[in-house]
Amino acid sequence: MNNTINSTDSPYANTGYGPHFDVLEVGLLDRVAVVEPDTAFWALVERDALPDALSGSLVRDFRKQSEIFAREMNHMRFGLTPSAVYFNPTERCNFNCSYCYLPEDMRRNGKNMTTQELEDALARLLSYFRGHLPEKMRPQVIFHGSEPMMARDAMFAGIEKFSDDFVFGVQTNASLLDDEAISFLQEHEVGIGISLDGPKADVADLTRKNWNGTGSFSHIVKVMEKLASYPAFNVIATVTKKNVHALPEMVDFFAESGVGMVMFNPVRCTRQGGLELKPDDLVLAKYFFDALDKTYELYKKTGKKLVVTNFANILAAIIGPTSRRLMCDISPCGGGRCFFALSAHGDLFPCSEFIGFPAFKGGNIYEDDIKDVIASSAFIETTGRKVEDIEPCCSCAIRHFCGSPCPAEVHSLHGTMKAPAPYCRFYEEQVRYAFRVIANGREDAYLWDGYKDETEESFCWAG
Amino acid sequence: MKTHKIISYRRLCKGLAGTGLSHYILLTPKAKENK
Repeated sequence: MNNTINSTDSPYANTGYGPHFDVLEVGLLDRVAVVEPDTAFWALVERDALPDALSGSLVRDFRKQSEIFAREMNHMRFGLTPSAVYFNPTERCNFNCSYCYLPEDMRRNGKNMTTQELEDALARLLSYFRGHLPEKMRPQVIFHGSEPMMARDAMFAGIEKFSDDFVFGVQTNASLLDDEAISFLQEHEVGIGISLDGPKADVADLTRKNWNGTGSFSHIVKVMEKLASYPAFNVIATVTKKNVHALPEMVDFFAESGVGMVMFNPVRCTRQGGLELKPDDLVLAKYFFDALDKTYELYKKTGKKLVVTNFANILAAIIGPTSRRLMCDISPCGGGRCFFALSAHGDLFPCSEFIGFPAFKGGNIYEDDIKDVIASSAFIETTGRKVEDIEPCCSCAIRHFCGSPCPAEVHSLHGTMKAPAPYCRFYEEQVRYAFRVIANGREDAYLWDGYKDETEESFCWAG
Repeated sequence: MKTHKIISYRRLCKGLAGTGLSHYILLTPKAKENK
């Protein structure tokens, strides 16, 4: 008698050799989400169809694909090499924003790179990247800070000299952008990001102001209006207790100004100033989703999108894990493995958030081989941080849609990276909102233009 | 798809995955060449 039973044929989830399917409430009356966390596989399931989702053809079809899904996730998480740098050409800033992640003394008195130092650093970076990136792929350099425009001459010289070698971007407070600077940046196809924290001066200038305590709202708005039609333009609003209530109004404001892409970034708690301004997770969720609802209404009414790119990334993380652009919401995060940060002294850190924390300096670009820096213990601590090693993330169904950001922030708060995100609850609610968007077939309204062209459907199941 | 009791799908990046940045979505013509 042949009693051989192939256990791998079992149609059931959650027992024996079956996959582990978690069931999530996502705020829909008629449906739940079913998630296989390790592969970031998901299904939306009507409540009365849950028995069918947990046994039968969905389980079988998932099993046929699960190795491919697992390989995708493994590659995303462990198989990438750096393709970008956050480059701080100066330590100085003409602003003294309440939540800055850089120490005050550095911003007041710190070093500016000379043109020679900046060009030397770019040459070393180019040599490093050309050693492993595909031939036609240009690495990305984002001039960041502090305020990179305080090293304008050196920065522009570097952009001019290396214009064919890198894709450049600048993240600036915009207060030093004049017409000449804007023309230069546009002519050289530099991505431009500006920071603006509110739809009016009495909100925006609360947290973003110069050393005299004066904000620059009206100047920044003029710059924003000049740049709105530039395809590589975006605005970052740092969300704090002071402006969280204004998020919906900001959608109208940015949309009317012609802006197409914004980030509504919850303030990082890496330093005391940021921590004191942290909004409550559920208050943040409420206003954030009110703002997202507004972007949907705007799209429905006018056909124009205001893409909230940090949310779009969460949506992309669910719909296609390899299609995400931002690398904060995955573990290990992008710091030290997809990109790294360079200070004005040439010091190398896994991410800008670590600048000012000497323990996380992995080396110096003028003294060390970048490959050795990437392999340094300072970098490995970040690139080795995974949700599997963190409670409660290791058993959280959405661990690969969230990634428990951010290692610098968490380490600063807890003295260890093996602790969960300070915005854990907010991330949970973002994922629930994202599933509601998918359930209602509204993804296009929230994703960046070209998403469908950049991606292809690799799995589709309906039953 | 809205009439189905169970739906699932997944998309795959055609270009090089993971080449996005922590703060940016760069959509200059040059960046588009990289995608």
